[in-house]
Amino acid sequence: MKLIFCSLFFLLFSLTIFAQKSEYTAVNISDSLKENADAVVRLNQVDIVIASQRSMTTKSKRVITVFNEKGLNAIDAVEYYDKSTTVKSIEAVVYDLQGKEIKKIKRKDFRDQSVVGGGTFFSESRYLYLDYTPIDYPFTIVYESEVSTSTTAFIRKWMPLDNYNTSIEKSILNVAYPNNLGFKKKELHFSGFNIKKVTDSATLLSYVATNILAQKPEDYSPAFKDIFPSVMMGLESFHLEGVDGTATTWEAFGKWYANTILLGTTDLSDETKTKIKTLVGAEKDPVKKAKIVYDYVQKKSRYVNIAIGIGGWKPMLANDVDRLGYGDCKALTNYTKALLEIVGVPSYNAILYGNSYKMDIDSEFVSMQGNHMILSIPNKDKYIWLECTSQDDPFGYQGTFTDDRNVLIIKPEGGEIVRTTIYEDKNNTQISKGNYSLSEEGNLSGFITIVSQGSQYNKKTTVEKMQPTDKEAYYKSYWDNINNLKISKAVFLNDKENITFTEDVQINAVNYGSISTNKMMFVVDAFNKYTGNVKRIRNRKNPFQIQRGYIDEDEIEINLPTGFTIEYLPAVVALKGKYGEYKIEIIKKENNKLLYKRSISINKGRYSNTEYDEYRLFMEKVNKSDNAKIILTKN
Amino acid sequence: MKFSQLAIVLLFVFSFSKIAAQEFKLGKVSVAELQEKMHPKDTSAVAAVLYEKGDVSFLYVEGQGFISVLEVEARIKIYKKEGYDWANKNVVYYIGSNLSKESVLFSDVVTYNLVGGKVEKTKLKSDGIFDENLNKYRSQKKITMPNVKEGSVIEYKYLVRSPNIGSLKGWYFQTSIPVNYSEYVTKIPEYFVYNSKQKGFIYPKIDVEKNNKSIVLVSKERSNDRDNVSHTTFSHDKLDYLETKTTYIAQDLPAMKDEAYVNNINNYTSSIEQELSMTRYPNEAFKSFSTDWNSVVKTIYDNEDFGLELNRTGYFENDLKALLKGITAQDEIIKTIFDYVKSNVKWNEYYGYNCDKGVKKAYKEKTGNVADINLMLTAMLRYAGLTVNPVLVSTRSNGIAMFPNRTAFNYVIAAVETGTGIILLDASDKFATPNILPFRALNWMGRLIRKDGTSEEVDLMPKKQSFDNITMSYRVNPEGVVTGKARRQCTDYNAMLYRNNVENVKEDTYLEKLENENDKIEINEYNRTNEKELLLPTIETFTFTGSNLCEIIGEKIYINPMLFFANKQNPFKQENREYPIDYGFPSSDKYSITIQIPEGYAVESMPVPSAIAMEDNLGMFKFNAAVNENILQLVITHQINAAIIPADYYSMLQEYYKGMIAKENEKIILKRI
Repeated sequence: MKLIFCSLFFLLFSLTIFAQKSEYTAVNISDSLKENADAVVRLNQVDIVIASQRSMTTKSKRVITVFNEKGLNAIDAVEYYDKSTTVKSIEAVVYDLQGKEIKKIKRKDFRDQSVVGGGTFFSESRYLYLDYTPIDYPFTIVYESEVSTSTTAFIRKWMPLDNYNTSIEKSILNVAYPNNLGFKKKELHFSGFNIKKVTDSATLLSYVATNILAQKPEDYSPAFKDIFPSVMMGLESFHLEGVDGTATTWEAFGKWYANTILLGTTDLSDETKTKIKTLVGAEKDPVKKAKIVYDYVQKKSRYVNIAIGIGGWKPMLANDVDRLGYGDCKALTNYTKALLEIVGVPSYNAILYGNSYKMDIDSEFVSMQGNHMILSIPNKDKYIWLECTSQDDPFGYQGTFTDDRNVLIIKPEGGEIVRTTIYEDKNNTQISKGNYSLSEEGNLSGFITIVSQGSQYNKKTTVEKMQPTDKEAYYKSYWDNINNLKISKAVFLNDKENITFTEDVQINAVNYGSISTNKMMFVVDAFNKYTGNVKRIRNRKNPFQIQRGYIDEDEIEINLPTGFTIEYLPAVVALKGKYGEYKIEIIKKENNKLLYKRSISINKGRYSNTEYDEYRLFMEKVNKSDNAKIILTKN
Repeated sequence: MKFSQLAIVLLFVFSFSKIAAQEFKLGKVSVAELQEKMHPKDTSAVAAVLYEKGDVSFLYVEGQGFISVLEVEARIKIYKKEGYDWANKNVVYYIGSNLSKESVLFSDVVTYNLVGGKVEKTKLKSDGIFDENLNKYRSQKKITMPNVKEGSVIEYKYLVRSPNIGSLKGWYFQTSIPVNYSEYVTKIPEYFVYNSKQKGFIYPKIDVEKNNKSIVLVSKERSNDRDNVSHTTFSHDKLDYLETKTTYIAQDLPAMKDEAYVNNINNYTSSIEQELSMTRYPNEAFKSFSTDWNSVVKTIYDNEDFGLELNRTGYFENDLKALLKGITAQDEIIKTIFDYVKSNVKWNEYYGYNCDKGVKKAYKEKTGNVADINLMLTAMLRYAGLTVNPVLVSTRSNGIAMFPNRTAFNYVIAAVETGTGIILLDASDKFATPNILPFRALNWMGRLIRKDGTSEEVDLMPKKQSFDNITMSYRVNPEGVVTGKARRQCTDYNAMLYRNNVENVKEDTYLEKLENENDKIEINEYNRTNEKELLLPTIETFTFTGSNLCEIIGEKIYINPMLFFANKQNPFKQENREYPIDYGFPSSDKYSITIQIPEGYAVESMPVPSAIAMEDNLGMFKFNAAVNENILQLVITHQINAAIIPADYYSMLQEYYKGMIAKENEKIILKRI
């Protein structure tokens, strides 16, 4: 499945700020703020004024001292605009170490660019950004902007700390709003940070955060937004490019979405209706009908992201998708829904965050969220989920882009928060069976069958569609522990019905066994060595998490070369811990044969910072055991 | 390896045999084309260009003069879903100034499918055409084809009208999918002479014919007669001229596939570019632009953003006088001025051999593009009395400059002529030193321009080896724990790479990475020397302890003597190779290792000395080991003697690495006594 973001909830916001006299020299920054910091946010003041349901102005003022090239990101001098959003002012002034002004950057010196790129084919949105070449480090930049918009459906989340290796001296948020629009907020992960709520009234909200130290990125950490402070904000009565909306519950939000945004988008021509009815024929079972329709959509359409119309929120008309054969996630989802409607299978648009890192729609905060759309078909007390942007995904398979997360289902009778398919650790399997032989020169030839299921299926299927040279490169990197590898055959079976991917691969490699004088040494585990590197991290701070667990099982027969005797055979290793289990075993068989058995299971979960080292040591033992060698002596 | 070898390979032969253009017409899609399941010559192709035609002609526009019109039509077959990207097409065009605005017009955009044995046509409507403003200078027209499926054939046509006749849009015969037929036609009036440069391994057949053409110029004249009634008289002037029609045809071009360690794939893709070299308007003197290197150089030199900028000195004279006070030695002058420019004017990441804001402004604002910086450097060094000239360079991303024309180059550096040879300088890179250029500028040959307008080729590729010398001594204890110290010294390009690696990385983070990438050793007493002293080699020293560095099996200890420094993977995994292997610079890695073995142990076996030499002295691997009581000593060297190695040597190179890696991973076996 393609990892593609729709520009559906294209978060175009703006910040604003008050001018404030301050000392811009970099000299008097405290040492604690400099530690691990590429940049220090001296001040970040955001003033949001919501004048009415259809008018919001955001002023930003940001004073940033940048210590090196990596700190340039912290300036973040970018403003997006489109038909409903205007950048009223934007400018920056640069000061040197002593606080002396060295450059003024006016609006016309900002670069103006279309957002097209990456997954987006066309969009009406553009952005202005600062393109400044620093003369010397450190320097301090004062950036100010004012942006106004009629879209009040999104209010940018306040994140005083929004990047690693950046410290915060002071960050201020002021929001003013009329008392009749149902302004609401939600504070997240405040504890442990110096954040003060200054005002919280019917029309005003403000916070001040001070002295937040720079954070270091650490592997296996949860996403930034899941550990660091933020404030979500929203209105119960909002506006989205020409459309007013009011919702206090998901039910109401869903109704509004269905009745305004989605209304009238599913009409299809009689010709298409007849076609799809003929295709489905006499089939009665709704799931089987859905399979036929999904297959039809996969064959007919392709993914092209064109963000036009209501902020990229409104799907293209189903009729247009039918004619053109392409669309973005919303368009293709909606089109599939329209086709299912014709054959009497009810289905609903589902809004979510598409990402291999699992992200939930915050169920406690009714607002526009998400960046992707898929289709849900009720099936008894569960749902079948269809990724309509993929031409290859098996029916109902969610892979790792949309699995196990809270999503919003849009039903005409109202919205509803539902969890998508959870792929249990025990079902994410890779079962390998194979053999290899070593010649007297240490050359290897072998054959292996690898069967992958669950979320491991997703990882593997890409190889099927690769060009021959890429396929070769894929296996050479997959088995990078085998030098001089040659792939003589690779055959695949992609069983979409049972969501099982089988690879039959034949390989050979010279010099696999290393020969020194009269001995040959080789690593037993040729086919499935753990290759990750769980780093040692000094003083880990963040919790760590394993998002998806799995099970691998291997059974490999080894044919030893003739004329050698076994000098050393690795012993049985069995490890067991809360992160998983691991076992290897080598069984001597007749005729110079060995049987190597390996199994590993890793459990998903969220663990504390102190448990990380335990996990690291567990994986290190796995690593060591996977490197176990057999030594043979020449007779 | 000499530059001329590549040049010969890429030189093309004009063959003037009469060739017949094949009859392809839009709309005539055959059932056979739609039925085709895979490309007959490349079964893995996701799509193929069935035919593509480009036609450049000139149109006389009243009040504007000649403009060029490029008409392109194409038919593309989509075999697989992975080829759907070929159903999107975009054409970038220039919108910079009113006078030179280009326009793009798509037409005849149709998708063909076979439905129930019948050909079904789906036309693109306006909702599939998008016009996107990229920036101040460029826009692009995009189309996305309707109703595309596996097996579809798509067709489109577009027209680009351009007043910029200085250089015509290039034509690529080859691309990343197979091309069955590609035809490019230029119809050029006698007033213009174009210089064409051709690249790639496949040469199109060329056919030239001359035709008579004429333009009718309409001029209007108003006059009042005796009765004061005004008359307009139209006069028609017919202008006859000769048009040269050149047809290039290439057939059955295989898909281009990128490989590792390739400089720039475009250097090897069959293509043609045309640049205006002369105008011969009636009743006017010939005006030449770029027929040979000398006129290319002259054109560049005469451009005020180049020559004029080079001659400015007023803006720095006072500063430089103060700076150079008391300095007389040539080396010192070079170093002082080079460092002065590097630290005072920062590169804004724009290329170009023409100044962007001008040297004076760049000097004042302390930022500039490559030309601002290096022309300023040249002027300052000249002012100090040295013989210095600018050298035009084509960066790696721009491809290799092989044919005389202005667009062959996109970068400029400075060259000081000394009694002992040329010193190349590029002040746009903070880690560059005399004769050590940033990687982007290391691209075959540059062209040095003298004040008198003459020019000559300058070899940019480093000849001197960059060293990476590692000295390591360690002891092993009976528990298999290794403790020791290491010292690593890098010179020239290796030092530059090292400086780039450690730049802006906190020492803690760097060490964490070093530890994790080297079998999880623990590093202490880390020290770094000459990080900022660019003329000296970088040195790092550290002590380490590692428990994953050897294996105890039974009564024996197995150690890889090079520990974490052993190369484990052959970088050349691919079976075959089409393009030269580009290392960038010659290098020499040397390891001097002393190992102390634990008491109560003796060497049971150890790797025997060996050596592998590459053909034609391109490289050499030597492995020496000796034991003296409880001390083992090893010296290992790996040397690459050329910056670029031709593809013919690929299998030799693969074998070399295979042998080297096997040797580097042989173990020392210690046994208990």
